[in-house]
Amino acid sequence: MRPDDRDLDEEIRGHLAISVKQRIARGEDPDAARRAALMEFGYVPAVRDSMRRVWYGRWFDAAAALGRDMRFALRSLLRAKGLAATVVATLAIGIGANAAIFSVVRGVLLRPLVNRDEDRLIYIRQLAPGIGDDNETFSVPEINDFKSRITTIGAFGDFSTIEFTLVGLGIDPRTVKAGVVGGSFFDVMGLRPVLGRLLDGHDDGPTAAGAVVLTYRFWTTSLKSDPSVIGRIVRLGQRTATVVGVLEPSVPYPADTEIIANVVTSPHHLGATMVTNRLHRMTELFGRLAPGATLDTARAELTAVHTAMMREHPEAYPASARMQLQVAKLRDQIASPARTILLLLLAAAAVVFVIACSNVANLILARSVRREGELAVRAALGAGTGALRRTLLAESLVLCGAGAVVGVALAPALVGVVARYAARLSVRALDVTVDPSVLWVGAGLALAAAVLLAYVPRMPSAFAPAGLGLASGSLRITPGTNRRLRMLATTQIAFSFVLLAGAGMLLSALLALQAARTGYDMRQVLVFDVPTTFTAFGDAKIIAFYQDATRRIAELPGVLGVAGGSATPWRDAGDALRVQFKVEGYQPANGEDDPRGRFRIVAPNFFAVLGVPLLAGRDFSDQDRADADPVVIVSQSVAKRLFPNGDAVNRHLTWTGSIVSLLGPSAAMPRRIVGVVADVDDENVAPGPAMTVYHPFGQLGIGGRLFVHAAGDPYALVPEVTRVIHQMSAEQPVERAATLEDVRAQVLSPDRLNAFVFSGFAGIALLIAVVGVAGVLAFSVSARTREFGVRLAIGSAPRHLLAGVLSEGVVIAAVGIAAGAVGGYALTRVTAAFVGHVELPGVLPVIGAATVLVGAAVGASLIPAARASRVDVLQALRSE
Amino acid sequence: MTRTPDDRRLDLLQGTLDMLILRTVQWRPQHGHGIGQAILAQSDDLLKVETGSLYPALHRLEKRGWLKSEWGVSEANQRAKYYRLTAAGRTQLSHERDRWSQLVHAIGRVLNPAPAPEE
Repeated sequence: MRPDDRDLDEEIRGHLAISVKQRIARGEDPDAARRAALMEFGYVPAVRDSMRRVWYGRWFDAAAALGRDMRFALRSLLRAKGLAATVVATLAIGIGANAAIFSVVRGVLLRPLVNRDEDRLIYIRQLAPGIGDDNETFSVPEINDFKSRITTIGAFGDFSTIEFTLVGLGIDPRTVKAGVVGGSFFDVMGLRPVLGRLLDGHDDGPTAAGAVVLTYRFWTTSLKSDPSVIGRIVRLGQRTATVVGVLEPSVPYPADTEIIANVVTSPHHLGATMVTNRLHRMTELFGRLAPGATLDTARAELTAVHTAMMREHPEAYPASARMQLQVAKLRDQIASPARTILLLLLAAAAVVFVIACSNVANLILARSVRREGELAVRAALGAGTGALRRTLLAESLVLCGAGAVVGVALAPALVGVVARYAARLSVRALDVTVDPSVLWVGAGLALAAAVLLAYVPRMPSAFAPAGLGLASGSLRITPGTNRRLRMLATTQIAFSFVLLAGAGMLLSALLALQAARTGYDMRQVLVFDVPTTFTAFGDAKIIAFYQDATRRIAELPGVLGVAGGSATPWRDAGDALRVQFKVEGYQPANGEDDPRGRFRIVAPNFFAVLGVPLLAGRDFSDQDRADADPVVIVSQSVAKRLFPNGDAVNRHLTWTGSIVSLLGPSAAMPRRIVGVVADVDDENVAPGPAMTVYHPFGQLGIGGRLFVHAAGDPYALVPEVTRVIHQMSAEQPVERAATLEDVRAQVLSPDRLNAFVFSGFAGIALLIAVVGVAGVLAFSVSARTREFGVRLAIGSAPRHLLAGVLSEGVVIAAVGIAAGAVGGYALTRVTAAFVGHVELPGVLPVIGAATVLVGAAVGASLIPAARASRVDVLQALRSE
Repeated sequence: MTRTPDDRRLDLLQGTLDMLILRTVQWRPQHGHGIGQAILAQSDDLLKVETGSLYPALHRLEKRGWLKSEWGVSEANQRAKYYRLTAAGRTQLSHERDRWSQLVHAIGRVLNPAPAPEE
């Protein structure tokens, strides 16, 4: 029968009892007898271990010993709550952040899509970098050419985005973003329905019945997962369609649409323009690789066919546009915008983890030096180096284990934050949840940290005079220890500097964006989406509708002005059209194309409502109707660029380029320039010279937006305006009311998030580094207690001691900053080799970061410095 | 009892310690302290067995079935573990004694070689 620890202990106690009794019988003093008996017996734990090892294997023994050490470590750590809490918190943040980021990276970049055989699914895009267009999309004739000539792709799927007014299904009439697809789309994408069926070849063609598939998100949020939707009829704009199915949850690409319909629901898609005009591009293209084909072979073939197309139809591919194809796996295409920022985040999280670990190492090193006395005693009593390491390992395991547990508990919340942030860049992030990899990563990191930390402190060296320091428990600092501590603190400062400089760079860029003048009156202008279905240019009914609405809204109290327009600044930037034009009296330089400007349609009073100053000529008026003289207003950069000396007003401007071939020669009528307005930039968030050509609403009739200049709180007007419009037409959607300021803020939010997340990391790093510096200095001060005591005793002023410690802190910070600057610069060089262009932070962020760090170091040094200057002289001298 | 200085004490090989322990408990069960004292006394203070060797040896012998332990109350009125020799232990002791004699004899022959036989 194996004896357990209790039996072994009892056997030893029995031995000692006999030994003591015999000594007392010989006349020894009982206390002396007990001590002598114990000394004669030897080191009890060692003897017990040797007894146990007979019955239990060596490893079991060691493991049991580790267990005991851990229980002991727990008790001793509970006595040092401050240190333990700091270490656990530091590790929790380090481990939690890393595990969370890793989860998101894995979910966005590494996880395969749900589509069937998603490895064979590719996405094809046409770019025109020469005119700054990174997605020109395709036209139907182009797609047909591909379909007939390409062999490496088994099937093509096409998808174009369009907006419908949806009526039906028991919800309020509203505008929905819809995808219009060919019958092969869902098969190519390899998706499955959750309910009903998806569109297929039978739904193709102009004679099929209208059919609509709901996306999963739309079905669960707006329709509350109602299973009875299948078979219901809805009205999409002018046509009707039947709901045939619900799509499985999948990544919405290329657009996050709410429904997907077949071609017959969109009259535009069946029209001659769409079908025959090579220049009318609005369709995205997907493909499924044919068996045996690879991405590279497909890319080569597509490029070859594309080049041939460009040669055959030169009028559709202007040389200056430099049109080209981009072919990628769908999975990579979806992830790529997020890739850079996520990898950057991963790097930042790793840096924070390194800082956290070094901080923890710092604290544990300091603690272990305090324990040198205890370790020396253990060594003297027979504990081998292995056993001593085990006691340290036990302590670091307890700390790191606790840190990992807290970190893993934090991770889900952090995953949520990071995923929401990443979702702006890549829709895959919407589906990211905490996955078990978090646990593995957390546990792995904690274990690695624990093992590393057990080996950081020095063992009691053979040269240590064992007598010194044992009785008083004072600290003995070897030069080695102090150097290690300082190096760790300096490293933390260096890393923090890099992070701070990076965050400073992002913050200053963000501030520059936010402060930039836009040219609009931001806060008081409210914009509404009031979409109407486009029928034709200059449709009198639509013009009348908007003019009527404008009149009625202007009568509301609190309204200073109303005007209609075609595009909301920034929000509609993606759909913005450009138009090429020529103006009489201007000759483009040799080899240059006709200038390109933004194409906008605005109602009279638009500029006044939005606060854009009129610089020359006049605004549009109600006289500018369809039957009157065609007119335009141009922006200041047009006038300046084309006519730097003269006057642009009263010259005639004519559309040229692709819009003419799209709409026919009647579109190329000359239009008189009647006014010049100041530049505004409503596409990029950073203002730049913007050539814009404004057309009167009364003549072209495309609207869709209403701008209201409010006297008081703009949002108070929202219900009033909605009421007015619904009085005119009950089914008219009135949506997305927001002030220009809020629209811009929303557009800025990725930059804002970037800056905040990075600043968050930098802040954490700073905090940890500050704790590190404080720890090093506190340690150094308490080690030099005697020295300070002596100096105070011989007359040194306390403030000299204070200054001395403060300057120590500043030196650590300075060295760290220098190291960080050098290291950071080297890092940007290295990453530039891989990633391409990497920006260096400007002077201001660098100086700002350095100042913050030095300030933090001084702050961290204050408490130890104050303690140094207030050392009790007598006590210091006595601690010998 | 005079104490023999440490430098005159002899070192025991592990195998021989086992044998001495078995011998000590041959006639009556004894606890660890008593076994150590007995060996010390009977060797005239020359063989002092450290607890770090004695106790593992006792447990080893018990594990191999040559000793059997049971709890009793010692002269100090405290529980103590008493070890007794088993039948298998008795046999083992006898084997070890034989081997020891052979060893002693062999070593003795090496140290004091017998005179060469007369021609």
